[in-house]
Amino acid sequence: MANSSTQTTLIGSGTFVRGRVTGTGDLEIAGRIEGEVTCTGDVTVESSGLVGAPIAAHRIVVRGAVKGDLTAEEAIVLEAGARVVGDLRAPRIAIAPGGLVRGHVQTGGAGAARPRSAAATATVNRSSSSSAAKPAAKAVLPPLPPPLPPPARVEREVKTAPVVVANGRPAPRAAARVGPPPPVVPALKKGTKAIAHHKKR
Amino acid sequence: MASTVISAGITIEGEVTSDEDVVVQGTLRGKLIAKDAVTVEHGGTVEADITSGPVAIAGVVTGNINSSDRVDLQNGAKVVGNVKATRITIADGAQFKGNVDMDV
Repeated sequence: MANSSTQTTLIGSGTFVRGRVTGTGDLEIAGRIEGEVTCTGDVTVESSGLVGAPIAAHRIVVRGAVKGDLTAEEAIVLEAGARVVGDLRAPRIAIAPGGLVRGHVQTGGAGAARPRSAAATATVNRSSSSSAAKPAAKAVLPPLPPPLPPPARVEREVKTAPVVVANGRPAPRAAARVGPPPPVVPALKKGTKAIAHHKKR
Repeated sequence: MASTVISAGITIEGEVTSDEDVVVQGTLRGKLIAKDAVTVEHGGTVEADITSGPVAIAGVVTGNINSSDRVDLQNGAKVVGNVKATRITIADGAQFKGNVDMDV
C-alpha cells in the first residue's frame, strides 16, 4: 500500500480532480475528486481526502469524506473519521467506531455466509481495537452537513398534545417543548354548538 | 517526492488541478494545471493542455504546454502541440511537432 509503487495512483492532498477516474490498480486519495471513480483495485480515501462522487472498486477503505454511493466487489471498510453520505453495497462491510454514515447499507452476501461473516467480524474487531484514537479523530472532524429535519414524529407529538389540553388538564410537558402548541380549535359540525347550548340549559 | 501520481492503468478524464508535483504514468485527458513540476513518464499519455512549473516528458503528450519554467523533452518523448516556456531542451530521440515560444 506504500505510495510510489508503480501500481498505486496517488491523488495528493493539494490536488483536485474534476472528472472521471477509471482503470486498474490501486488508488489512494488524499486530495479532492469530483467525478466518478471506477477502479479494479483498492481505493483508499485518506483522512484529508474528499470524494464527491460514487466509487466502485474491488475494495474500498475510507478515512475521509465521501458523498456518493460506494460499491465494492469484496469489502468496504469505514475507519474512524470516515464520513459517508451515500449507499454502501458490498459482500462485506465494516464500520469502525468513529465512522459516520448516512445512507442505505447492504451486504450482498449470497451463499457461503460463514467464512464471509467470520472475516467481517475479524475486520470489525481489528478496526475497533484502534478505538483509543477515536475521540481525537472525532475532534479533528470538520463539521458535518446539518442533520435532516426530524420527520413526522415531531408533528405527531404536537398533534397529540392538544388532546390533553382539550380534556381540561394543562400539559406541562407540552409547555416545556420549544414552541407553543397550536391552539385547539375543535371542528364542530354545523348546528352542534346550538345543541350544546340547549343541553346546558 | 511527487505528491500526485497517476499510475499506469489509470485513466483520468477531466481537469486536474494541483498545488504539488504531478507524475503521469497512466493516461490523462482534459486539462492539467499544476503549480509545481509535471512529469510524464515513459508509457504515460497526456491528451491535455498543461499549465505548470517545470515539465519533463518521456511519454506522449498531445496538447499545448505552458510552463513558467523549463520544458524537457526526453528520449522517447512524443509531443504534438505548442510549447511556451522560458527554457526548452529536446533530447536526441524525442519527437516533437509544434511551435516553440521562448519569450526571446
